[in-house]
Amino acid sequence: MTTVMTQMVARLLFLPSLLIAVGVMIKGYVDVGDGFSAGVIASLGVALQLMVFGAHELERLPMLRYVPAASFLGVFIALLTAFVPAIRGQALFTHWPPAGEEVIHFGTLEIITAVAFDVGVFLVVFGFGVGVIGAVARAEARMFKAEESRESVGRIDGRNGGVT
Amino acid sequence: MTWVNDPNPALVVLAAAMLAPVLTIIVGYWEPRRVSLMAIFATALAFGAALWGAAQAEASWSVSWIEAWNVNFAVTLDGLAAMYALLATGIGLLVVLYSAGYMPLHRAHAGQRSVDDVRFYGFLLLFMASMVGLVLAQDLLLLFVFWDMTAIASYFLIGFDREDEESRESALMALLVTGISAIGVLIGAVILWHEYRTFSLPLIFEQMESTTPVLWAVGLILAGALAKSAQFPLHFWLPRAMAAPTPVSSYLHSAAMVAAGVFLIGRIYPMVALDSRLQDALVVIGGASMVVGGVVALTRDVFKQVLAYSTISQYGYVVVLFGLGGTYGIGGAMFYVIAHALAKSALFMTAGSITEATGEKGLAGVGGLRDRMPLLAFGSGLAAMSVMALPLSIGFFKDELFFAAAAEAGRPMQVFAVIGATLSFAYIGRLWAGWFLGGEKAQLKPVPRLLVWPVVALGLMAIIGGIVPGPFKGVAEGAASVSYTAPIELSLAYHLDTRPENVMALIVYALGVTVVASQNLWRVPLRAVVATGQVIGPLRIYAAVLRGANALSDAIHRFEVRDLRSRIATILAPAGLLVAMAVIVTPTEGAFVIGTVGKDDLPLVLVLSAAAVSALVVTFPRDHLRLALTLSIVGFSLSVVYAFLGAPDVALVAVLIETLFAVVFFGMLVLMPRSILRYETSLRPERRRAARDSVLATIAGLMAFLVAWGTLSRASESTTVIRRQIEQTPLAHGYDIVTVILADFRGFDTMGEITVVAIAFLGIISLIRAGRLR
Repeated sequence: MTTVMTQMVARLLFLPSLLIAVGVMIKGYVDVGDGFSAGVIASLGVALQLMVFGAHELERLPMLRYVPAASFLGVFIALLTAFVPAIRGQALFTHWPPAGEEVIHFGTLEIITAVAFDVGVFLVVFGFGVGVIGAVARAEARMFKAEESRESVGRIDGRNGGVT
Repeated sequence: MTWVNDPNPALVVLAAAMLAPVLTIIVGYWEPRRVSLMAIFATALAFGAALWGAAQAEASWSVSWIEAWNVNFAVTLDGLAAMYALLATGIGLLVVLYSAGYMPLHRAHAGQRSVDDVRFYGFLLLFMASMVGLVLAQDLLLLFVFWDMTAIASYFLIGFDREDEESRESALMALLVTGISAIGVLIGAVILWHEYRTFSLPLIFEQMESTTPVLWAVGLILAGALAKSAQFPLHFWLPRAMAAPTPVSSYLHSAAMVAAGVFLIGRIYPMVALDSRLQDALVVIGGASMVVGGVVALTRDVFKQVLAYSTISQYGYVVVLFGLGGTYGIGGAMFYVIAHALAKSALFMTAGSITEATGEKGLAGVGGLRDRMPLLAFGSGLAAMSVMALPLSIGFFKDELFFAAAAEAGRPMQVFAVIGATLSFAYIGRLWAGWFLGGEKAQLKPVPRLLVWPVVALGLMAIIGGIVPGPFKGVAEGAASVSYTAPIELSLAYHLDTRPENVMALIVYALGVTVVASQNLWRVPLRAVVATGQVIGPLRIYAAVLRGANALSDAIHRFEVRDLRSRIATILAPAGLLVAMAVIVTPTEGAFVIGTVGKDDLPLVLVLSAAAVSALVVTFPRDHLRLALTLSIVGFSLSVVYAFLGAPDVALVAVLIETLFAVVFFGMLVLMPRSILRYETSLRPERRRAARDSVLATIAGLMAFLVAWGTLSRASESTTVIRRQIEQTPLAHGYDIVTVILADFRGFDTMGEITVVAIAFLGIISLIRAGRLR
């Protein structure tokens, strides 16, 4: 039951939702929010597109196909930040720069390994969200297709997501 | 860099072995047809490293692993490790060469593709690598890790033909028997840690005493070792494991898996020597395996079954030798393992080659192959000579040492040793004669040369060892000295006199020839006896236990998945009971404080009541959509509570998660067939179930309430932690304490959580892809 209005709003919100997610993530050490919430925000942005435009949106935005796999990249990044200190003889999760030392700034961005860990968390959650919602959307698309082919026999109510 | 000029032999041997599966899998992934070549090269490298390492002085390497438990990644290349590493890589090399000829034929029978070869060589070399790691390990926990790695690799190797049900069952049996008994090794290690606060074997040996816990620990570790070596009564997995492709049997049952068991006995032998009861147990169990394996081997018709039972029997000898102890016992055990590995791997390979040439698996279908396959007859004949302990073969000395150790133990042991040696003479003689002597029976297909030459090489080694035993003796002495904790000298030579060893050997030859020649007389009655034994044997107990465990698991599963209510009940009931137990043992004084409610708290109280009301409302709707909506109302009102409590981070996450869940929830509801949803909505709960559910809900709710109350009453404790964390947040270059806690202070927890998310993700995707949600 999508209207022009919902379609327009969904299109307008897509890029901002991803931008906000990135913002929430990299400013996680300074302000409210962290990699986890950023991941959910980005997933919701994608979920909105899929709800309004259907599963074929996944094919229209080819980058989305790699997002689920990125969640394992996220685990890998997180593991790296955890275990690289072990190779250097420090305790696991010893972040760099150490306490008391100057943080390198890049503009207002602070380079801390803890933020890299948070990026890993973001990728895991984003991949999870897009992967699960995408899988559900694809399954629904398959189901509607199957129902459509049966429709010549008899009309079925509530095709566009009406439940019970 | 010092490690380039002066490499540590222990590390080099370990690294070369570990590299082999990695290189093979990487190359196999890109070029599956080249995988056998890569495997040969990598195994040769590992063998070369082991040869070089064995020639170096004893070397150790250690790095702290889990400091809190005093666990080290400690490896030492001592005599014992050198011997088993040489066997694992050397026999491994010949097995890999043989596989290069065998696997293309096997693929054709089993309908496999060349990518399956990658799996084969990958797991075979993983086994080799774990075996090398196992023999180098000086820390019981590290040893246990490698021990389990061998069990896992063996599971995939035995079940290599995964389309075949029998092969899967056999693999599971091997995994269960050796894997469950491996827990004995772990428990033993933990007991020893509890006694001595270390897992390091050298440190334990320094301070060990013969106390009850220590003896229990040693007994448990021995049980794991004996099951791995397929000793009675846990021997039944080994004959079943013959479902594996022949190269696997040839490797696992000569130089690798079964040898790992007796290796472990050798590794912890200083502790075994603490108490003569442990040694007596070894003699009894080894002796039983020797007789049971030997007698059953005589009655088998399928080649690989004869060899399987003979392996049980021959490792029985090794265990008996360890039990007898002393110079002859321990030196003999080590020497026996070498002699057995050479001969048995050759005989397994011969069995595979004959099956490929004739298509026959049993003795009934073959015979008289000596003219048609002369080279194979020659190579396997030399190996058979060694098992039969004929002079000029390395096997002669293994029996000489066995007889010498038995002579030290007295007349009954001597008689027993003669019986055991006669059995092995008889079953191998019968097998070899059945293959190569008599009239021709079967049509022959030519076999690749790689199915013959490794057998010849091993047979020649067995003869070289019989003529020039020096190098083999040296390796065995080095290993025995480690177990004996004192230098051991073996003197191996042919003597033309009537010393007891020679007399016993002559009796064995005479008896053995008689047994083989008279096989038509005893075969039928002996088969009947063995069949009776198998009806009441341990395999029955295994099957019964497995069936029972399966039935119990099924019953719980059926209850749990019957409907959503049962599933929730299986979570709530145990959780409620556990919390109730905790509440009962916790002192209640000051644990439950009733605070005050001021005027400032009014907004919070309002939002909380909204949350409470919506929680109550959840119990009313019957159709799924409204249920999902009311549930998210609860979540949203709770996030408002967080916002009022001044936790913007938590409130943000709560709102986001609630939204995401609602979306996924509705998506899932669309996927459910509408008829089922309608049916579920129309159901009225049974009265009996309703009573059970309300009791469970009350208990669980009450306990959750108590936990929340108790936590809030002890706010002071948690505030000190929080205050410290707030102080430290600027040190961690952060301003948002919640993020700093997640990413830094409690990073480990977050790591665990995201791993869980990733695993759950895999599960969800595979469920939906497989269409099992619809």
